[in-house]
Amino acid sequence: MKENLKFFLEVNKLKETQRTGWVLMKVKNPETIAEHTFRVAIEAWFLGEKKKLNVETIIKTAIAHDLCEVYAGDKTPFFYWDSLDKSKGEQENLLLKGIRLSQKEKEKRGRIKFKKEQESLLKLIKSFNSELKREIYSLWFDFEKRLSQEGKFVKQVDRIETLLQAIEYFEAQKKPGGTSWWELTEEIVEDPLLLDFLKVIQNKFYGHKKEWRREVEDKELEKELNGILDFFLEIGKLKRFPRKLWVQLGIENPETVAEHIFTLALMAWIFGNKEKNLKIEKLLKMALCHEIPSVYTGDLITPYERVLFNTKKGRRKVFEKWPRLTKKEKEKNFLKDYKKEKKALKKLTKSLPQGLREEIISLFDEYKTTQSAEARFLNQLNVLAVLFQELCYRKEDKGLPIGFLWEWAFEKCDNKMCLEFLEELKRQFL
Amino acid sequence: MEEERKFYLTKKGLEQIKKELESLKKIKASKIKGETPQLLHSEDVNPEYLTFREDMNFLESRIAELENILKNAVLIKIPPKTKQNIVQLGATVTLEESGQINEFMIVGTLEANPNEGKISASSPIGKALLGHKIGDEIIITSPIRVVYKIKKIKYHSM
Repeated sequence: MKENLKFFLEVNKLKETQRTGWVLMKVKNPETIAEHTFRVAIEAWFLGEKKKLNVETIIKTAIAHDLCEVYAGDKTPFFYWDSLDKSKGEQENLLLKGIRLSQKEKEKRGRIKFKKEQESLLKLIKSFNSELKREIYSLWFDFEKRLSQEGKFVKQVDRIETLLQAIEYFEAQKKPGGTSWWELTEEIVEDPLLLDFLKVIQNKFYGHKKEWRREVEDKELEKELNGILDFFLEIGKLKRFPRKLWVQLGIENPETVAEHIFTLALMAWIFGNKEKNLKIEKLLKMALCHEIPSVYTGDLITPYERVLFNTKKGRRKVFEKWPRLTKKEKEKNFLKDYKKEKKALKKLTKSLPQGLREEIISLFDEYKTTQSAEARFLNQLNVLAVLFQELCYRKEDKGLPIGFLWEWAFEKCDNKMCLEFLEELKRQFL
Repeated sequence: MEEERKFYLTKKGLEQIKKELESLKKIKASKIKGETPQLLHSEDVNPEYLTFREDMNFLESRIAELENILKNAVLIKIPPKTKQNIVQLGATVTLEESGQINEFMIVGTLEANPNEGKISASSPIGKALLGHKIGDEIIITSPIRVVYKIKKIKYHSM
């Protein structure tokens, strides 16, 4: 447990590290590595399922693909930025157009990047047991070297996600889209489904100009991919939604909903691995969609939210302990929130193919009503993820109230492993 | 597993596949005998990669995959001198755009690694370049046009 906690403390840095390309492009408050990973995981799941690839491997690869950046940082194609000879005014041009290099130079820089990231990942996972270490390392290696079908697929999805994010940023800022991301994507994508998906993206954002429209032969597929793209764009908003609890507690630059989902999915994998009766693929999918209705509802802090925010006491004071409610009141609040979220989820998923839509709604229902072993386990991990995050904030701000989260964890957790992790949190933080 | 399709490989790529297969078979044999697999040192097969490849399911599926690749492998050959002015698999293409030079090596899907400048012939940029000659202008069809001029095409021993 000590190793697990140390791992999560290190991985939490990915919630603070903004992606280099956007920082260089001066995007205001750009996404972090954790936020990027969140959407890559969902995209890889949906598109990988359509390709009939191994979805568990796909999701794990997506979650693991940037763990190496904990120590290595985000080395984008511009990672040699500092060594470039660039005059004033040339910077933006370089960023917009991408950097041109000889093949030899690309090979050299690519190898340096690989080596750094490899060392970083091995350092991060060194205290894990050999089985878990092997799994994480192999998935990352297959992704980097494009060895397995799943690794190769996620590699392409990763690039498409970056392109999508670039379009979102630069469209929003009314700046030119920048060719570099299109070029980098077109260097890497070769899967027929993903090539069609690129066409759908191009038509969506640039199709108003006839010369930019691209023909997708299979019209049914085009329609389906369009619906999936709309969904990805909607959930992308979660990268900008700070979690309400942290906002209420006055934490600066707090974790977003997307970052929380990233942490929970990673916890589901690391802890779920040891629970032999759980279906990991289901657990990962459930973690990825457990809070997506927040796109429309905002995240609902707790079933007690209404009581908390109606009080006139100071914000922090309110959080000192849970409001005491009767069982009936708790049920009433839960049902009210559940209905609200379910409505939001139906709206959010309406553009998806029916099978996928039903799967997501059913996973969400299961999670909320704790109807399966996976749902019960994930509910407990969710509490731990929140408590863990608050304890991290508390290292900087000792005045943060914490009792209410301990109390919540003591109410919710009964799984042996979750209780052990709770004990470890006590040992490390109290 | 990918079956019944051709895998275009450079000589170096083909050698690497053979070496990886050989190493994995050795590890598998050690595992069957109940021995701890020795870490194999090879410049072509990454030792860290092999250290973690002890899982029998992985070993078996990767060995089958590599055997399938070898069965369907097509060696990329350097074209005759008269055809070396055309971009084909195995070519390193030097492109010019607004006074800047950019280079790509065109390879088959198994060897593609854009981080190292090796792009797949099936990627949009790979496809756009294939079949073109020195002096040709290539338009990359992303929404914002990039016009590359082919300056050089080279075929190194692969």
